[in-house]
Amino acid sequence: MTGRMKFTLAVAALLVAAAVGTVLATRTHASERAPLSRISNEGHRVAVERSSVWGSFGLRSASLLAVRGARAVYRLESKGGPCVGAGPAQEPGNFGTVDCPRGPFPTSQRPVLDLSVYEGTSHDSHDVSLYRAEGVAADGVVSIAFLRPNGTVALKVPVSANVYEAGATPSGPVAGLVAFDASGKELWRSP
Amino acid sequence: MTRLALLLSVIAAAAAIGLAQPSSAAAGWCWPSCSGYGMLGPGTSTANGCWYYSEVCGGWGYWYLNGVMKTCYPGCDPYNGTNGKILYGFENRDRIRGNFTSYYGKRYVQPGELGMGGYLRAQVTWWAGTTSQINVAVAG
Repeated sequence: MTGRMKFTLAVAALLVAAAVGTVLATRTHASERAPLSRISNEGHRVAVERSSVWGSFGLRSASLLAVRGARAVYRLESKGGPCVGAGPAQEPGNFGTVDCPRGPFPTSQRPVLDLSVYEGTSHDSHDVSLYRAEGVAADGVVSIAFLRPNGTVALKVPVSANVYEAGATPSGPVAGLVAFDASGKELWRSP
Repeated sequence: MTRLALLLSVIAAAAAIGLAQPSSAAAGWCWPSCSGYGMLGPGTSTANGCWYYSEVCGGWGYWYLNGVMKTCYPGCDPYNGTNGKILYGFENRDRIRGNFTSYYGKRYVQPGELGMGGYLRAQVTWWAGTTSQINVAVAG
């Protein structure tokens, strides 16, 4: 083998190694991100009555993601893009609340859409408590923790089939939420 | 046009299910108007006795739906998040309840969803961060 051939082979090997490395790195990066950019639960189609309030808002279709206790959580499609909604479980297709984010959801930067209800009872303080915990989370999120103003956990709720819900909530102030993966690693914190 | 459509859709929707005569814009409440956005920040007030200081609220009524459109102002991150956090929902003489958001988008909430009913005020409150640019349309 001539020196020139050796050099050519070395360059080729280097290029192949670089290409393989790039592919592996990209795949690893993508596979880490994918669970936070996906909602695998497609739910079950429910009718959106054309005469209902939500039909008038341009909602095209609704899928029931889950029923938890007295609550139903939905994935919706509107003229403006995807939305999520929730309402009383005994009235399928009755959405008491709808959130239509502009832009992608879920993403690694926003894997949770919180529909929780917060309550204030003092005019002087901005402390709020949790009236109901509820929302939709990406595949990679396995639990949601609601935090006290001092950072301690007030309530931890499991995520199942991309939905979390807790009708029974602790009293006292709540100041945000955190999403965790299966290993307990913090994935996201509410703004 | 989008803002006007928001109120009209609220009113049309309420009309479609036969609620209290919202056959004209007078049946609802908008902020700052039914065709424009307003800035909600520290100190913004409708000066009509809302629950919090930095809050806009409508008059007392048997409201059916509160719709809020929040823009990217003063800027969105690549995922359409802003630094301005708002609370939107309803209030009565005892409490204020609602959902939080800091994202660009459109939301609707009914009083029953917040465990509330009867004589209420619809509200949107500046909660934290930068000023938010919003349009509020409420149907009764």
